[in-house]
Amino acid sequence: MYLPSQAVIQDITIENSRIKTYTLAFTDKEYQRNFSYAPGQFMMVSVPHCGEAPISFASSPTRPGTIELSVRKAGELTSRLHSLPAGSMIGLRGPYGKPFPMEELAGKDLLFVAGGIGLAPLRSVITFCLDSGKYGTITLLYGSRTPEDIAFQADIEMWRKAGVDCRLTVDESSSDWQGNVGVVTTLLPQTMPLSSSTVSLVCGPLVMIDFVIKELTQMGLKDEDIITTMERHMKCGVGVCGHCHMDDKMICVDGPVFSKKELTESVAHFQEKPTVT
Amino acid sequence: MSAAYILAKDHLKSFVRKISKGSRLIAPVTNEYGDTLYSEINCLDSTQIDTQHQPQSSIKHFFLPQQESILSYSVSQAGEYHFSNILIGVPTVFFGVRSCDLAGLLYMDVIFSNPAKDPYYFKKRENSIIISLGCNEPFENCFCNATKSGPFLDFGFDLRFTDLGDRFLVEPGRKRGMEILEEFAYFFNDASEQDLKDQYQLQLESRSSFQQNVHVDLAIKKLANEEVGKDVWQDLADRCQDCGGCAYVCPTCTCFTITDQPVSESEGERVRSWDACTFAGFTRMVGGHNPVSSEHSLRRRFLHKLKYDVSLHNRTSCTGCGRCVGICFGGVDIIKFISAVCES
Amino acid sequence: MAGLATTFGSGAMTNSISEIEQADVIIVSGSNTTEAHPQIARRIIDAVDGSAGLIVIDPRKTDISKFASVHLQIRPGTDIPLLNCIMRIILDENLVDDVFIEMRTENYVVLRDMLYRLDLDETAAETGVSLEKIRRAAKLFGRAHKGVFCYCLGITQHICGTDNVRSIANLAMLTGNVEKQDTGVDPLRGQNNVQGACDMGALPNVFPGYQGVADPTAREKFSRAWKSELSDKPGLTLLDMTHKSRENGLHAMFIMGENPMLSDPVQDKVKETFDSLEFLAVADIFLTETARCAHVVFPAASFAEKSGTFTNSERRVQHVRQAIEPIGDSRTDSEIITDLSAGMGYAMAYDNPAEIMEEIAMLTPLYGGMHHDRLNENWGLQWPCPDRNHPGTPYLHKHSFTRGKGLFQPASHQEPGEPPDEQYPFKLMTGRVYHHYHTGAMTRASHLLSRECPRALLEINPEDADRLGVRDGEYVTLSTRRGNITICTKITDRVQPGMLYTSFHFHEAPVNKLTIGSVDPTAKCPEYKICAARLERIQS
Repeated sequence: MYLPSQAVIQDITIENSRIKTYTLAFTDKEYQRNFSYAPGQFMMVSVPHCGEAPISFASSPTRPGTIELSVRKAGELTSRLHSLPAGSMIGLRGPYGKPFPMEELAGKDLLFVAGGIGLAPLRSVITFCLDSGKYGTITLLYGSRTPEDIAFQADIEMWRKAGVDCRLTVDESSSDWQGNVGVVTTLLPQTMPLSSSTVSLVCGPLVMIDFVIKELTQMGLKDEDIITTMERHMKCGVGVCGHCHMDDKMICVDGPVFSKKELTESVAHFQEKPTVT
Repeated sequence: MSAAYILAKDHLKSFVRKISKGSRLIAPVTNEYGDTLYSEINCLDSTQIDTQHQPQSSIKHFFLPQQESILSYSVSQAGEYHFSNILIGVPTVFFGVRSCDLAGLLYMDVIFSNPAKDPYYFKKRENSIIISLGCNEPFENCFCNATKSGPFLDFGFDLRFTDLGDRFLVEPGRKRGMEILEEFAYFFNDASEQDLKDQYQLQLESRSSFQQNVHVDLAIKKLANEEVGKDVWQDLADRCQDCGGCAYVCPTCTCFTITDQPVSESEGERVRSWDACTFAGFTRMVGGHNPVSSEHSLRRRFLHKLKYDVSLHNRTSCTGCGRCVGICFGGVDIIKFISAVCES
Repeated sequence: MAGLATTFGSGAMTNSISEIEQADVIIVSGSNTTEAHPQIARRIIDAVDGSAGLIVIDPRKTDISKFASVHLQIRPGTDIPLLNCIMRIILDENLVDDVFIEMRTENYVVLRDMLYRLDLDETAAETGVSLEKIRRAAKLFGRAHKGVFCYCLGITQHICGTDNVRSIANLAMLTGNVEKQDTGVDPLRGQNNVQGACDMGALPNVFPGYQGVADPTAREKFSRAWKSELSDKPGLTLLDMTHKSRENGLHAMFIMGENPMLSDPVQDKVKETFDSLEFLAVADIFLTETARCAHVVFPAASFAEKSGTFTNSERRVQHVRQAIEPIGDSRTDSEIITDLSAGMGYAMAYDNPAEIMEEIAMLTPLYGGMHHDRLNENWGLQWPCPDRNHPGTPYLHKHSFTRGKGLFQPASHQEPGEPPDEQYPFKLMTGRVYHHYHTGAMTRASHLLSRECPRALLEINPEDADRLGVRDGEYVTLSTRRGNITICTKITDRVQPGMLYTSFHFHEAPVNKLTIGSVDPTAKCPEYKICAARLERIQS
């Protein structure tokens, strides 16, 4: 269960100075053919001599043949991964985790709120929705630190063409930026009013998630209609090693996708302030 | 349990010798420094099995080693990157396992069965024969009566020994135990009515001689229904010296971390090693964010054992062995916590 | 060392560690006890739980200060004025132990007169702590029946380190808190065998057992035993070697188990010294920053690969036995020394460490009764232990001080070697963290310890951080007149405004590039604890 399978990096897309998207295929063709996953799940990625890290799918299972993982350069493993050229081999095991409830979301209007690398798992969902055509209107609110940091620009262009209402904002603007300046919650009032069948999917830094969820609740969204993904330190991916505990939940098996309802009902410390140590 | 047998104490050594033929034998041994540890016995004639003292560590590390290479990997010149499993399981007879440690092992069986059987753990587990030993006298920090895991745990063993003074009462548990009794029937006599009465009397006396009075049930009830006060966590956090000793000696603390240990440019091993949820780095993410604040570093440890496992598995994962009480030098052991909860 | 040696006659912890638990008032000064001496912190906390009073003297908020009845958050480097204030208040409150002073000490009048001349308000102002708070502490300690004073490098690593220690000794004698069980003056030694190294003469001016090289009888004794003429001149102190080798005519060095490249102040100077040596040999268990400078490196065995003794803080000599065979080509320190010596024409033939211990026992009265076979019982023996039948000494100076009478040596405030100014406005203090040992040669090789504490953190008060626009976790440039380093910040009110604090374990942020070369004139201990520093944001 801890045995990774070899995958080759077929292509690398540079999203911004710190994020790259990797197109990957298992070298065992049979394995690749039978491989299935769902938006919201993640893989444990091995890079030679660096151990493993959990990375969410950025691609959609509606486009089989390869998988895509978007990786933000943060620690030792991701730095090493960023230094690998196309054609390099990495190890993958998975998929792990509870996916987004794609069945239940069918027919709903979807409001995606993302910050930074948090768009990666939502990219999987958006692509899935567009490909399957079973969903209502799609709106994306996306916050980045600066205009240079806006990732997934090619995707955003494509989504716009496909009818997705994409609104961008940056924390710090530069001279040639025409768009909105401010944290992503400043885009929320513009999306009022929400339809009665709106479900919001939120992903980004912990602090952002906190603020967005509060705001969405004020806008009248029900707890079960706010869905987010939690990020945690993980080692096993299968609910055993203990690292990703959140009260009685293990993020890697009970999550990473949670509705606000699940979080507030069972997690006493959900609103606890994050700390840096 | 229908059957019970008697083994004369004089024949213990020869019985153990027989059943551990071709296997590794692990039993409590007191070394020259006075430490009692479950140890590998290579020569039964020169080593004394210690049935009097509580081993200082549990049998956890024989199944989940403190450091264990689980995979080896290679990176070829051409970039090929392959892994293979390292599965090690030596046939082993464990003699003299205390109830608390057996309860810990049974808990690990559950933990390492989900979502699938952990191959490294079960390779060892399935190669083991467990012979437990009831505790006639609880040790200084024991409270297994309160966690319902001792002093004479009634299940989970292959054979259970009870020390009746000049003889052992031997009872079979799992199938393997029954087979052993059949194979080595010539060692045993049927237990008499009196033997069973003696055992019952011993158990009664043992249950009434615990030095620690720990209200585990009350704590479980309170924890299920109310939040623990902020000041309780703060006080515990101030005193915790972050040594991880409690987790390391605990028979049921199974949290681990996984790291790569390169052997050369092209080879290395993936190592699973003990970790502890009380360490700050346990939950700290790469960017430095820690979703668990330092005041709550002990929250996971105590609530996991006394609240979450109760709701998930219907039993506490504290086996009342008292080892964390002995090892903690900050005074934040589980007995202190339970008392604090009960008093609040 | 020098401070206590001249006052009491012996430079070591006067109590046993377990006695701390029995004290009714404990002062902890310049010691981050929970991080640096957790086992001692545990005794202190146990004592507090048993209703003992705790006074913590430290510019920073430390974990042990959470348990304090009074925390005197002094300005760094003002220990002497603080202690003088405390003593003056004790005098005014009539809490001095007259009988003890009369019977056991000398030179009291000089101290008393100095204290009477003191302007309390002015002196208290120097420390930055309110007189009312100092008064509370003074009364608490003055009324203690069993008072213990624990101190650590926050006292000694100052330009006035020796005077700091003398002031502590003055306070202890003034209140009669020495020479008895459960009361005393306890320097907490930083490493498992610092005490042992000092005991064995790893000091410039003494043979093993503090027998002076200048003492003809001692010299004669050692010359006879070692069959060679020994010099009567003291050797060089640490910084005289690592900073001034040329001035002192030093051409070659052999360094064992020490990493001065990270641990000594003014790193650039140390590097210069090592580069200029004709020959440098290093013995260590890992290839440290210092070993990388060496011409020859001897791979040494770790503690688990050898037998011998360690002497801990409470003067307890403990036998350590080999657990595993030395890995690779590594060899024990004694093998390295004896073979090297043989190669240089002086044969040192010992069958085993026990035989070396026999020689120590023969030549060192403090260790006279310490033999390996005895050390195995009862967790070792505490010196002095003069003969085979002696049970060891749990606390020092019973009935009388080693030097006869305790000597009062009054001291007055000294400014640090480099006070802050406009250009370098911060006081930079250095210390240690829980998870790492010294320069991290061993602990940083542990995955778990590295994960727990992956980088050096520079503690800065929120006020200062706000003013400079520094964010938590931001990398900044920290500079002093000696150089600059890049270091990650941690915004916390553990430090007062105007102070910065960090640890020296990390080669990526070698803070000893920045620390000052000034030393205490008596003990020659470097002033690691304060220098003037500046902090700047890194422009991206």
